[in-house]
Amino acid sequence: MNHTKTAKGKNSMIEFQDLSKIYHSGDNPVKALDGINLKINKGEIYGVIGFSGAGKSSLIRCVNFLERPTSGKVIVDGHDLTSLSTKEIRDVKKNIGMIFQHFNLLNSKTVFANVAMPLTLAKVPKDKIRQRVSELLEFVGLADKADSYPDQLSGGQKQRIGIARALATQPSILLCDEATSALDPQTTNSILQLLKKINQDYNITILMITHEMSVIRQICDRVAVMEAGKIIEEGTVFDVFSSPETETAKNFVSTVMHDELPDSIKKALEEHDGLQKVYKINFKGNSTGQPLLSELAKKFDIHFNVLFGNITELQGVPFGNLVVEFQGKQNEIQRALAYIKEKEISVKEVIPHAS
Amino acid sequence: MLVNSSQIIEALIETIQMVAFSLLFSALLGLPLGVLLVVTRKGHLLENLPVFNVLNAIINIFRSVPFIILMVAIIPLTRLIVGTSIGTAAAVVPLVFYAGPYIARLVENSLLEVDKGVLEAAEAMGATPFQTIFKFLVPEALSSLVLAFTIATIGLVGASAMAGAVGGGGIGDLAITYGYQRFDTITMIITVAILIIIVQGLQSLGNLLSKKIRRR
Repeated sequence: MNHTKTAKGKNSMIEFQDLSKIYHSGDNPVKALDGINLKINKGEIYGVIGFSGAGKSSLIRCVNFLERPTSGKVIVDGHDLTSLSTKEIRDVKKNIGMIFQHFNLLNSKTVFANVAMPLTLAKVPKDKIRQRVSELLEFVGLADKADSYPDQLSGGQKQRIGIARALATQPSILLCDEATSALDPQTTNSILQLLKKINQDYNITILMITHEMSVIRQICDRVAVMEAGKIIEEGTVFDVFSSPETETAKNFVSTVMHDELPDSIKKALEEHDGLQKVYKINFKGNSTGQPLLSELAKKFDIHFNVLFGNITELQGVPFGNLVVEFQGKQNEIQRALAYIKEKEISVKEVIPHAS
Repeated sequence: MLVNSSQIIEALIETIQMVAFSLLFSALLGLPLGVLLVVTRKGHLLENLPVFNVLNAIINIFRSVPFIILMVAIIPLTRLIVGTSIGTAAAVVPLVFYAGPYIARLVENSLLEVDKGVLEAAEAMGATPFQTIFKFLVPEALSSLVLAFTIATIGLVGASAMAGAVGGGGIGDLAITYGYQRFDTITMIITVAILIIIVQGLQSLGNLLSKKIRRR
């Protein structure tokens, strides 16, 4: 199955090679990044998720050299940053926009001046700045706020200004550092929609770090899960969400997928003898549309007792999971399971304590 | 009363001259020093610990010497610069050495209050250190800097009164030579009242200006 948007092109935009970052504060050196290898393709929205302290913040800061790696390479749009001079890095930065959790706007300057800042720094002529800034404010939907000051704005509006500012120099990469973590859920949605639009309209590669799985689920194409300075799992959002492998990834996925068994069923599994042949069936993509259970009931001598289930959509692909009790003879159940596996539908026995 | 109104007006003008000139020169000295104290410290824009440590120590030394002693101690330097060690112009030199390091500390304080995130944004935009200082750091701290300079100016008004000891003239000189040394209570009261009005006026002006910059 191919759920990824590989049609957008395979050229890598950001590449980390054996990237490590060690902080020497205090007595014990802290390994914030530990041998990271990762490629982010042109035009994709890539999410990095992890708990605080996992190293995701250090990782995103290595892309525009707010942090200098201790070892390894950072290759941005073909440039190996580690081999560039400070001045050359400044030029590369003009090609990378960044937005922040706390927006980091200048409170002493108007919205207009804030958005104009990257252009002012680049010494763009005044009339060009005026034109570009009004274009950007129009794009983020805040054209009427040009003369306001940041603290007259709401959090969502501030982030829109942050986005407008980040886009001022027409970068090809946008870095989002926990960009929605300080916003309420509704505002988060509207900012994510805006990011998606930026990605689609301008084909800007977006790298975002977050601790919210719902953010990844809403707009990312691919995702990496970080823990203790390492990438422990990586893949398309569909693959990671539908079959997470590591414990951490499973935890993150369960925060948004609600695929945990309800407590009453868990209890029944643990106590009641009748509920023993319980299986979790995952449907992906096309298989979601198949009438699998009734097919099985006809083909084999089994009864089904559906305990729990849901169907959701990931990256526009339906994804469902059902928890079902199989009632019947052992050999019939085995045959049914084999039949399911043949259809490339994943099926796993639910063991009371482990689920 | 042993003084007439024209003497008071003359003294007032002298005080204003002393404070204005010493403020100008000590700001020229203190502002860059304050900026350097911030940007050369550990983890900052232009980290340079030797420069930071040396500056830090020198400023502390100047800040520890009592003004009256500083004034006498640098008389040779004052003569070298102004040509004399007596009079209003001569008083400006020690006042600058007194207020310059003080302003450096005040500026340092104001600049350190600036949100680190704003500086990170500057760095992300590829701003040069120079641009970061003048387009981000100083503008963001401006309102707080105005209050800092208000404090410095009022400090100078107080110090300028002591400059009377080297014949610096001014309101404070009047208060000491007539009010204090010759027991002229009325002159004492009038001069102190004028000083109170000056300080009140300066503080109000500073507050107003700072608020106008902050504006919200």
